Amino acid sequence: MDIHQALIERIRQGDRMGANALLDAWASEHGYERLLAEVLDPTLILIGEGWRSSETFTLAEVYVAAKVAEDVLSKIAARRKPPSEGQPVKGPVVIGNIEEDFHALGRRMVGIFLRTDGWIVNDLGNDVPAAEFVDKAQEVGARVIGVSAMIMTTARNIKSVREEIDRRGLAGRIQLAVGGAVFRVCPGLAEEVGGDGTAPDALDAVGLFGRLWEQSIRKEAGV
Amino acid sequence: MNSIERIQATLAGRSLDRRAIAPVLGLYGAKLTDCPLETYYTDPAAYARGQSAVRETFRPDVLCAPLAFASIGAAFGSELVFLDTLPPNLRRPVLQSVEQWDSLVPPDPDVHPRLLYFRDAIRLMVAEHGGEVPIAMVIPIPADIPAVIMGLETWLETVLFDPAGAQRVMDKIIPFYVRLVNGFFAAGATFVVMPCGFASPAIVTREIVTSFTRPILAKVLAQLRGPVVLHNVGAPILAHLDLLTGLPCVVAFIVDQRDDLVQSRRVLGPDSVLFGGLDCANIAQMTAAEVEDRCRLILQDRRQDAHFVLGTSGPDVDWHTPPENIHAMRKAAESFGRIDV
Repeated sequence: MDIHQALIERIRQGDRMGANALLDAWASEHGYERLLAEVLDPTLILIGEGWRSSETFTLAEVYVAAKVAEDVLSKIAARRKPPSEGQPVKGPVVIGNIEEDFHALGRRMVGIFLRTDGWIVNDLGNDVPAAEFVDKAQEVGARVIGVSAMIMTTARNIKSVREEIDRRGLAGRIQLAVGGAVFRVCPGLAEEVGGDGTAPDALDAVGLFGRLWEQSIRKEAGV
Repeated sequence: MNSIERIQATLAGRSLDRRAIAPVLGLYGAKLTDCPLETYYTDPAAYARGQSAVRETFRPDVLCAPLAFASIGAAFGSELVFLDTLPPNLRRPVLQSVEQWDSLVPPDPDVHPRLLYFRDAIRLMVAEHGGEVPIAMVIPIPADIPAVIMGLETWLETVLFDPAGAQRVMDKIIPFYVRLVNGFFAAGATFVVMPCGFASPAIVTREIVTSFTRPILAKVLAQLRGPVVLHNVGAPILAHLDLLTGLPCVVAFIVDQRDDLVQSRRVLGPDSVLFGGLDCANIAQMTAAEVEDRCRLILQDRRQDAHFVLGTSGPDVDWHTPPENIHAMRKAAESFGRIDV
């Protein structure tokens, strides 16, 4: 069994210690500097594809994957090496749950997977007003704001972030990523609330942020 | 037939004057009565007035007691936040770790005002409608309750990585939960609907359901004094439906709009009541004509199913749903006329 399948098997079993042991053994042979790019990232992509295409993974399994990813990042940090060694630093980006939304888990998982992919993430937490998202994005120079909402009513509050971006003349420069459970059951909702893009789950959010970042650069350059 | 007779006939698989409909309209009562939600979710009389308006406006075959799961967490000490168009939510859970459970004393369901609110709302609703309309109380399964006390992430982490700790938590929750739910029955609830978060294929694995959720559920259900309906919690549940059959007290299942109703019926067998219908968020997005058309398709599919109820999946019907969309469910049911068995 290859390392990716072995890791997925341990994640499916909820065996966080076993997954870490497996990764430590691989890293002792090949080095931690290769672990992210050659093992963890490809495995997370496989899990993400399985989660969204056929719902073959549960939230619990993806959460185990997130915790394993967090463990790996901690070990790399403890070795005093940058978490994204071997990859250029990405971002910064800003994420948070929209005003009146308190469902933190999905947003936190997005943060973990983004950091694992080398992004600098400013996580503003729950119940974040529109102006605070845009203030932070301007302060740190973020090109992408990711806003999470779990249910329809709070998802509609995301419109205020769109309006705030537009009001400050930042449309195009700052891209708005939207996500959360309700976006999976309501096609068209992302466009309705003014999102520039959405992803069906936390793992796919990594690709979405990359695409939106590139889009921001193109729009700013007038391409 | 009145609604109680219609639901009883559905349970028994007898002929009906028309298909029963059961949209979840707990929240919508506040909109109809223009009641601030902090009042609605703390004053049982205000809630009961809202449900009277729901009955008068839509004539559903089931009325729902308050869906306010976060208020259960608040009874344990979690910080509550009241919102403008949603049931209350948790701003901050009271516990941050499993170790803190050891010193936690669960609230007394007979004394705590946040818990008495539910019971009093049920009593008032039963007094006004109980002879004609079933009153359903909605409360998550016992394995979901710790999430409103310590937060979903911490609870999920405990279940995944500290099974002994999770069991200690449930040892505290189970006696509390049994007393709380039996209090709902004593107040007159016709049945209790239990959303099954920790049995949902979207959230946990089959292994967790088998080894953790189901044994706890079986233990609790065996101590309850009334019928129970298991609910999809807003995500497809078909892949785990087989793990939820054969439990004591369970008379019905509410599946998600994405679940195949034929397969669901096959898994459940011919005698359980099956609730199916559109997702409560989707209903808000559609036109009334679309709602009616989609409901007709569902009813056509279930035409021969004597134990079927047209409901909604997910939590409350969304605040912004146009009333004509809710009326459309009823129109669809009426268009099929009698259901003869």
